[in-house]
Amino acid sequence: MNIRGALAGLVLAASTVFGARAAPAPAEIKVGTLYASTGPFAAISMPAYDGIKLWVKQANAAGGVYVKPYHKKIPLKLIAYDDQSNTATAATLYNQLITQDHVEILISDSGSVLTSVAVPIAREHKQLLFDLSGTGAPFFSKDNPYIVLMSLPISTLWPKAQADFLNDVGWRAGVRKVAILYATNDFTGTHAKSLAGYLRKAGKETIVYDQGVPTNTTNYSVLINNIAAAKPDAVIELGYPGNDIAFLRALQDSGEKFRYVFTLFGGFEMHAVLGGAGASAMVGTFTYIPAALYPYKVNYGPTVEQFHAAWDKAYPPGSGVAWGADGLMGYMSGLVIERALATTPGMSQLDLRRAVFALSGKLDTLAGAFRLNPVGAQIGEMTPMGQLRADGPHAVRPVAVYPPALAMGKPEFGPRSGQ
Amino acid sequence: MLIGAIVAGVVFGLYFTLVGLGLNLVFGVMRIVNLAHGDFLMLGGYAAWWLLSAFGIHPLPAAAIVLVVFMLAGLPLYYLVVPRLQRARDSEMLSLILFFGLSQMIEAVTTIVVGTTERSLPGRLLGIGPMIVLGARLPKPWVFSAAVSAVAVLGVYLYLYRTRLGTLTRAVMVSRDEALATGIDIHRVSAIAFGISLGLAGIAGVFAPFMLGSITPNIGVGLNITAFAVIVVGTLGNPLGTVVGGIVYGVSLMLMQTYFSSWANLLPNLLLIAVLLARPQGLYGRRVRLA
Repeated sequence: MNIRGALAGLVLAASTVFGARAAPAPAEIKVGTLYASTGPFAAISMPAYDGIKLWVKQANAAGGVYVKPYHKKIPLKLIAYDDQSNTATAATLYNQLITQDHVEILISDSGSVLTSVAVPIAREHKQLLFDLSGTGAPFFSKDNPYIVLMSLPISTLWPKAQADFLNDVGWRAGVRKVAILYATNDFTGTHAKSLAGYLRKAGKETIVYDQGVPTNTTNYSVLINNIAAAKPDAVIELGYPGNDIAFLRALQDSGEKFRYVFTLFGGFEMHAVLGGAGASAMVGTFTYIPAALYPYKVNYGPTVEQFHAAWDKAYPPGSGVAWGADGLMGYMSGLVIERALATTPGMSQLDLRRAVFALSGKLDTLAGAFRLNPVGAQIGEMTPMGQLRADGPHAVRPVAVYPPALAMGKPEFGPRSGQ
Repeated sequence: MLIGAIVAGVVFGLYFTLVGLGLNLVFGVMRIVNLAHGDFLMLGGYAAWWLLSAFGIHPLPAAAIVLVVFMLAGLPLYYLVVPRLQRARDSEMLSLILFFGLSQMIEAVTTIVVGTTERSLPGRLLGIGPMIVLGARLPKPWVFSAAVSAVAVLGVYLYLYRTRLGTLTRAVMVSRDEALATGIDIHRVSAIAFGISLGLAGIAGVFAPFMLGSITPNIGVGLNITAFAVIVVGTLGNPLGTVVGGIVYGVSLMLMQTYFSSWANLLPNLLLIAVLLARPQGLYGRRVRLA
């Protein structure tokens, strides 16, 4: 072997040895997300963002998160931009997070509307989208591995709990005719469509009113009069917190009584809706019981009581940050991401996906059982049906009433009490 | 359902008369569009919420307090902004840009101060339960708010047609230059009109939680669009035409909600387009419009 051959062999051997070593650990793991400080989605976006911030703060206070490929703890750097509830702005900012900021972790803004623009962008850039709470069914498909739904069941599955409840308990209580009034956006529109589908498929209750209204609807008096003319036993209103407040107030003012009244955010953002509609308008109404109001057993992370205490410490009551489901979902998503980083085989986006999928069925967090279907949609974290009961003159407390395995009380039908 | 929708529309429209009244007064006197009008309304709502939560003040005295405070706040704001605008070559266009910026600023600052959570006032303060009006079941707070709107319209009418200052105001509305030539202190007249406009927005804001369910810092933009539609339908620059615009809007909205509910949010824009195409001077206006 001549000298040139020996040198070449040495270089080859050295490159093999050093190439096999892991890349140097970054100084920080960049977490990118968007929030809406203003606009119609601010009420659900800001608490979720506050939840993410709390997670990052806690993680960094503990020296960062453990990242398996680097065998060490690395601090998190949160990069967040304000999309102002505007989908066009959100699209630009999602692009910026991926192409300019080069975030390792991309978390969508809260809700289906602001998530909808993130899905194709993340897919195009082969960046895994940690979908915070965008439950829209069209987001998930076999040919898109770059999305996982962190919180809430996919919208086609979610309403099944209510349909089962009406077909089972409701039917026995005499509920025969159902009215559905929904806000025409991706989230509540899909929810209403799925609910109506489940009810029609069961073939028991008759849907006597099924109308959509713009999401910015603020007056429901005439709509309630029109619903009353159809004489339903059950009235299901699906909207965002502002819709629910306006609906509940109008219902109370109308003097109309229905055997069953449902609102979505009466449970999900109970404190916010309570502040707007008042306890007397909410007592007796039905809702989904979100994780923030249900004491799930956990095998990972804090219990809901522990998290509530941490939340109140970070955001004291009266600070303008309401305690509710969205904040919990933001925080819980962070916890699952942290766990995925601790177990991921590598730092590629598909490695992260594999790590998250490996957690499916194994984690019981304060939001319930974390389970994904093969296309990344959440199928755990089912929300039980609940009813709001009076808790003194100015407050309500949620009672889970269905399914029986999760029930903590019996449902009460009939004219709403407390009026 | 039809009669109920019409009656509810009239009552709801009277509230939107109050929403648009101040906006139209400012346009009539100053020929500028205050795109922050809805944000002042939002501030009125938050003021009522704060007065109730901090001091237990009922919305009715709160409305009087808000009226006075907002009117007084309007005077320095006028002198700070409007005379400079009117010296510009295209004051109407510049007013759109400037007040849009002010609107964004008010919304952002309010968000920082109070957060994004929905706020409201207890419905029981204006009475719980329905009131039967011509066979239609209406929420008591609606009737109450409509009555306050009617009083406000009457107040503006009396101001414009029964006071000397009102006469001067109408003179400025007809021709700012001629009013100036005859020795009228147009800035004093305009500043007072601007103050009244903000006061009216403030009162409308006090009743917003009862009419709209709740308030958030971002309600201003949507209310501006609606208010603008109301005053264009009524007649741009004619405060009393706002009554017509408000009622047309209210009745149309309730009919849309009854028969085409999914399309109801198109209504302000549809009304704007229809009126601008068919009767650009507005339903209450003369054939020649100065705007």
